[in-house]
Amino acid sequence: MSTEIADRDATIVAPEQASPDASRRGAPVHHRDFVEKVAGTLPYADDWGFPGMLHGVVVRAQLPSARIVAIDTSAARAVPGVRAVLTAADVPHNGIHDEASGLGVDAIQQPVLAADRVRYDGEPVAVIAAETPGAALEAAGLVDVEYEELPGVFDPEEALRDDAPAIHAGGNRYVDWRSSIGDVDAAMRSADLVVEETYRSQRVDHAYLEPEAGIGWIDSDGVLTLRVSTQVIEHAREIAEILKLPHSRVRVIASYMGGGFGGKEDMTIEPFLALLVWRTRRPVRMVWTRQESLLARYKRHPFTMRYRTGVRRDGTIVAQDVRIVGDAGAYPLLSSRVLFAATVNATGPYRVQDARVESTAVFTNNVPTSAFRGFGAMQVVFGYESQMDRIAELLGLDPAEVRRRNFVQRGDLRVTGEPIDTGVGVGECMERVLAELGPPSRPSGPHSRIGRGFACSMQPYGRSVFFADRASAWIGLEQDGTMVIRAGVTDLGAGQAASLANIAGEILGVTVDRTSVHIGDSALTPLTGGTFATRQLYMSGNAVLKVARSLRSKLEPVAAALLECEPAQLSFEDNRVSVGDRSLTMAEVAQAAEHQGVMPYVHETFEAETGEFDRETGRGRSFPDYTHGAHAAEVEVDESTGQVRVLKYVACHDVGRAISMQRVEGQIQGAVAQGVGYALSEDVELVDGVPSSTLFAEYLIPSSVDLPDIRAIGLELHPGKGPLGARGIGEPPIGPSAPALASAIQDAVGVRLQRLPMTPERLLDALQAARGASGSVAS
Amino acid sequence: MYSAPFEYVRASSWPEAVDLLEGGGEDARVIAGGQSLVPMMMLRLAAPSLLVDVSAAADRSVDLVDAELVLSALVRHADIEHSEVVRGSCPMLTEAVTHIGNVRVRHRGTIGGSLAHGEPTAELATVAVAEGATVTVLGPGGERAIPAGDLFVTHFTTSLEPGEVVTAVRFPVPGGRRGSSFQEIARRAGDFALVEAAATVALDEDDRCLSVRLVVGAVSDRPVDVSQAARPLIGERIGEDAVGEVARAVAAEIEVGPHTHAGREYRRRLVSVLAGRALLTAADRAAGAVHTDHGNGARA
Amino acid sequence: MSKHEIALEVNGRPVSATVDPNMSLLELLRTEAGGLEVKLGCGEGVCGTCTVLLDGEPVNSCLTFAVQVDGRAVTTVRGLAAEGELHPLQEAFLTHAGSQCGFCTPGMLLTAKWYLDRHPRADREELRSALSGNFCRCTGYTKILDAIEAYRDARQEVSVVD
Repeated sequence: MSTEIADRDATIVAPEQASPDASRRGAPVHHRDFVEKVAGTLPYADDWGFPGMLHGVVVRAQLPSARIVAIDTSAARAVPGVRAVLTAADVPHNGIHDEASGLGVDAIQQPVLAADRVRYDGEPVAVIAAETPGAALEAAGLVDVEYEELPGVFDPEEALRDDAPAIHAGGNRYVDWRSSIGDVDAAMRSADLVVEETYRSQRVDHAYLEPEAGIGWIDSDGVLTLRVSTQVIEHAREIAEILKLPHSRVRVIASYMGGGFGGKEDMTIEPFLALLVWRTRRPVRMVWTRQESLLARYKRHPFTMRYRTGVRRDGTIVAQDVRIVGDAGAYPLLSSRVLFAATVNATGPYRVQDARVESTAVFTNNVPTSAFRGFGAMQVVFGYESQMDRIAELLGLDPAEVRRRNFVQRGDLRVTGEPIDTGVGVGECMERVLAELGPPSRPSGPHSRIGRGFACSMQPYGRSVFFADRASAWIGLEQDGTMVIRAGVTDLGAGQAASLANIAGEILGVTVDRTSVHIGDSALTPLTGGTFATRQLYMSGNAVLKVARSLRSKLEPVAAALLECEPAQLSFEDNRVSVGDRSLTMAEVAQAAEHQGVMPYVHETFEAETGEFDRETGRGRSFPDYTHGAHAAEVEVDESTGQVRVLKYVACHDVGRAISMQRVEGQIQGAVAQGVGYALSEDVELVDGVPSSTLFAEYLIPSSVDLPDIRAIGLELHPGKGPLGARGIGEPPIGPSAPALASAIQDAVGVRLQRLPMTPERLLDALQAARGASGSVAS
Repeated sequence: MYSAPFEYVRASSWPEAVDLLEGGGEDARVIAGGQSLVPMMMLRLAAPSLLVDVSAAADRSVDLVDAELVLSALVRHADIEHSEVVRGSCPMLTEAVTHIGNVRVRHRGTIGGSLAHGEPTAELATVAVAEGATVTVLGPGGERAIPAGDLFVTHFTTSLEPGEVVTAVRFPVPGGRRGSSFQEIARRAGDFALVEAAATVALDEDDRCLSVRLVVGAVSDRPVDVSQAARPLIGERIGEDAVGEVARAVAAEIEVGPHTHAGREYRRRLVSVLAGRALLTAADRAAGAVHTDHGNGARA
Repeated sequence: MSKHEIALEVNGRPVSATVDPNMSLLELLRTEAGGLEVKLGCGEGVCGTCTVLLDGEPVNSCLTFAVQVDGRAVTTVRGLAAEGELHPLQEAFLTHAGSQCGFCTPGMLLTAKWYLDRHPRADREELRSALSGNFCRCTGYTKILDAIEAYRDARQEVSVVD
């Protein structure tokens, strides 16, 4: 099925970007990890053990704002089988230092274990290791912490007031960003219509099915080694700092993750595991419970977004003025970067000659927020797309036509003053999804109404260019012609390892079944940087592509000499190097190379494009490139109960070039599922910093019956900056769901919701308010 | 996840179960499917000292005897779901069990366990009250019968005495022109209900209402029998206007407790909607009309 | 806590163990029975990750105590096919990319297999409904259903030929 779609949609591929053998794409060669997954034999983080290992648990604060007066661990230590009970005083360097923005925002240290102050409900205060999980849990219940409760602040707007309790010494205003282009105030005055609305998004949990887990031990060389479910093995350095060890004495191995979505980008269990291993000198395993994860694991930022948009009567945007406030929770983590991404992407895929975007990340006594698929650039889609619909509504124009008049094109400037330097396929994506929904469904009952909506987006892939991102990889041929790839990539389940095998295979002609990909080991694989920011295909993919080409250029003269031809005549395919009907096996090539002293392996580094960004002016280069797309949905709304059912869903993105169209579709479908949950049901509700529930039963991720079949379309329109012209697809499809569904609901019942999630209760409230206002039932 | 330590014994008969429970003291609990109790134990919200496993105490029998449907307490939700006898004699049970949890919960959970747990959103509790079921219990003092309406006291509390165990549940199977309906809304299929409404309606030959029962579940600390409020329907032909009045009256007066995912006023509105749908659907079914679904709250 | 001697069958092989009453079936499978393919996702019986078949029926291994399954037969995903081989349903998941991170896959496979054994001609909506208690956070379920339907159709073709 996917192969058909791939062929049908493979419309434009620039010749220089075309693969040597595009027809082989989608062929059923399965990377090993997928075979192991369906067999049930893939060892995840919780599946490794050592004889005599201990079991670790975290003791967490049970209130959101307090001074720690005293901690008594004597009863916990007395539990038989307990081997360590550690508190802040036992942490060699009790601070996680991360200036995440890369642009000189003041760094605030987050303690590994709370020392004198608790800033959020669930903050770690102690860690315990014991011979059995039961003993560890029993001891955890006996750690006696004396708290003096302090006033907390839980609303970001309130936290910004002068009289709000200060959560950190520098106050609650963590970071401000500001970018502008042109003269927005003058342009706004010239507009025929100014549309001002406020949109709100909520706190969301990643809800990957594999909870945070790992095991640690000290290896035979005395190196502290952790094998954990993480997106970032480079945390080894931070762990070393915490333990005051040389960086070379800490090694992090990433197991295949049971999902990450950004939630395993910051450290989870690592520092606690490291402390317990280092103190006890014994292997220790730690697995967080689901309820613990829901309580204290960092979430997606809730945003308040105020959009003021000036337009001409024909729908052309003349001014865009956006103000965003994000709730960072109790600690900085990646908030500076998330709000940066929100700022530079807040105007969406639309031309802005005069625009201004300001944003602030605010500390509160809520659970911290950090990375989550979409990373600031997804929340704003709800803002800018809702604005486009509102503009169309007020001007009596077709919402698709309003967008057509404003879509950006290559060369247009963004709010940062930088040009978009690759092709923009958002319009084609929009036309495609509008055409794909098919005939409208019929309502299933007398209270039901059918409605349709759509939304567009652009989402960056790759890290901000001022990080000067780089990734390294190593590829070698064994003497039997099999291939080894080494790269420090971590695999979220999206086929990160498999993609590297595919890319190297396209250049070197070695098939996946004859390739071994070694990933995610900070001691043994060249570092690539973590799997986040939809950067892995772009970075590691390009690194592997570069290395593979380099290795091929080393091997070509060897093979050409043996085959008596020019190197350029050679083709590398199906584990052979050939010219015409003469060929060599890869084994023969590898052996000949070594015999001639040409080592058949290469290690190189791919360096992403770099650029400068001026924090003061908010101008400069931000992200390397973007993936564009559009979604359309059909819903049925029960006017009596407010329930919304998604009946049809189509999502289309310009992926530049699909390394695997099937995996592209899988990413789109999975992101849509998360986008629909975000739109309609998911919410980590806090009451004064305390979750109203930490049960998975009450965290409403969509089940199979909450979603229709998701039609995913990957177009190959405009080459991007990834390997072979690919664009990143991990994050981009998560943004459009919420505005597309808001639009569909409006089409069905006439009210527009501006707060997420769009629950049945909120919808019914809005319907009643609308009827009250109009004095009659609209339908 | 580890529950607190406990002792475990199996009972091979109901009398043995009673003896074991009595010997186990007040922290002894019965376990059958364990789908309600064990999650609470794992989250350490319950810590029984002794579990008496009754899963082998009797058969999972489903019998139709003398205008009564008699279900062994060990009958599982999945047994109900697939039983033609149940569907033919007490279709509200069939309709209700599909709302319970997921396929795994339905394969382990039992009707006796569900009723004895006293969880206020339990679908079968609402059905038992609406259908006028009787719960047979065995205890140290012998066997007794408790009308379902008297079983549920408040959250996780029933009128079962220490040492008593539910052995069977009996549903009357009246003849005549009778229809029933079970309506439920949850935020997600299989989740704890926001609101349940269960109605039965009996009609005379002239389509006038002979009797009506209406029970609202999941909003209070136990199923609430609001049949009294539906009395104006008796002697009348049941139509949307009269039902709407009844439903609004029920919703206005019922006590609505808190819920993680919805405010009281919203759930009060749902009570009105579901009570209305349950009454109209039950009346339609009683009239033997072509099945008219007045909207089913289920997402599935 | 008094220990209990239990004997059960796991994927057709006898397993005996001495267990505390509060040991879950999940823990028994993951420790004594070497069944690391059984995963813990939530511990509440909600997510379906820990699904195994008990005497052929799907149960939450996290909410079943090991002592309760004395004398019974348990099937995990490794029991679907002979060691080193894949069951056609597993092959279908592979071909149709029904597995991304793979953590839900064992429970998903077992639920689908159980349901199709009982309802060989189940349509897509019935399958969707049967899977409502097995959460997946990666795929959006579309390719999972594609895989299960492909397996169902292939199986029916075989039985027609027979």
